[in-house]
Amino acid sequence: MTDGATLEGWMPEIGPALSLAEVVEKAFDYRGNVTVIRTDGSETQGYLFNRNADGPVPFVQLFDLNGGGPHTIFYREIRTIRFTGRDTATGNSYAAWLRAKEAAKAADRAEKGSGSTPPRGV
Amino acid sequence: MSLPVSQMWAVASYVVRQKLAGRKRYPLVLMLEPLFRCNLACAGCGKIQYPAQILRKNLTVEQCLAAVEECGTPVVSIPGGEPLMYPDIGRLVEELVARRKYVYLCTNAILLKEKLEAGLFAPSKYFSFSVHLDGLREEHDEAVCRDGVYVQAVEGIKEALRRGFRVTTNSTLFDGASPLRMREFFDEMMDLGVEGMMISPGYSYSKAPDQEHFLRTQRAHDLFSRILSRPKRRWRFNQSPLFLQFLMGKQEFECTPWGNPTYNVFGWQRPCYLLQEGYAATFTELLETTRWENYGKRSGNEKCRDCMVHCGYEPTAVNHTFGSWRGFRDTVAATVTGRF
Repeated sequence: MTDGATLEGWMPEIGPALSLAEVVEKAFDYRGNVTVIRTDGSETQGYLFNRNADGPVPFVQLFDLNGGGPHTIFYREIRTIRFTGRDTATGNSYAAWLRAKEAAKAADRAEKGSGSTPPRGV
Repeated sequence: MSLPVSQMWAVASYVVRQKLAGRKRYPLVLMLEPLFRCNLACAGCGKIQYPAQILRKNLTVEQCLAAVEECGTPVVSIPGGEPLMYPDIGRLVEELVARRKYVYLCTNAILLKEKLEAGLFAPSKYFSFSVHLDGLREEHDEAVCRDGVYVQAVEGIKEALRRGFRVTTNSTLFDGASPLRMREFFDEMMDLGVEGMMISPGYSYSKAPDQEHFLRTQRAHDLFSRILSRPKRRWRFNQSPLFLQFLMGKQEFECTPWGNPTYNVFGWQRPCYLLQEGYAATFTELLETTRWENYGKRSGNEKCRDCMVHCGYEPTAVNHTFGSWRGFRDTVAATVTGRF
């Protein structure tokens, strides 16, 4: 992912405008830890790596913050999901790498007193 | 093709057995990911963006062997993550070789020399290092976002060859790759003495940092045609010649998403090595409950539209070889003439 929107910090409220299934899909696609809030108020934090919305009893699966699991939680037990962990897929590491490479090349050129580098291949 | 005869025979007899058994869907190569940790963070990779507790996880050797047993493929590829960072990699390879599985350990080779010197592996016709190299020094170091990796990988390759190991390379090509430089790269790999090379266009992982340089279909055909036209006789590829023809636009194939199933710390990945649309607890569940009709070019799924990656199309190519006289004839012709 290049620079772009991230769901990090999102605390959705399930309601007529936003279904639990939609939030689960976004949590499944999210590359960070989330917090599952149950209808009884209890919480489980972890990485949501799987969901099955099509089975007779829809569920999500998580590995908790210690890597323990998988923990299975049924949709019917979930009030909402909060995107509490850092989004590990966000950022612009490729752009940063290119910037660093260009800066290094520029510095090298300045040191050698040359203004250009030969083209690469065809 | 540069595959040993025994390996070709193992794959061919396996495919024929599947066909005789009337199996419509069967796997060819298990992609076994025992961990997601890596000592690189390549821009084109969408495999390693996970929270720390996930990156710390390892499959046990027993889990790996159970997956291999359940899947039943003659070939096991071990990508990752970086498999040389897997604590039990020596034992895992030993167990797989003992089961006469052809093993490809896909590595960036940063740790290869060190692990070889530690005596972690023994040479075998069943075991090959598949070293990730996306081109010559400048291109490869740029692809992996770190200077010096190419030199380390080449040192590792030399050490492995010196010790009698099978060594292949795997290269992912992105938009902007230079055909001339890739041909020079093939020459250099042959000079090094690797057994064969594998090439594939990159896949546009939605989680990969670099989204700008993935190849679209026509550009991929053009690029691979320029790279592989008039191939030198000395170039050896460790993959189906029909797949190479497909990359050049000379074969019309459909994806076989179940051909290279993936098992990792989350389970059996749906539907393929590249897309993560859920996980199944068993291989049987994966085969029986995945909606395969939703994947491949003909499905209209836009995630599959421009994909030409080996894990979906190499199984198609192999199936074509053993599924039709034309496929068999084309494979033999390309193998004998060295032309694609």
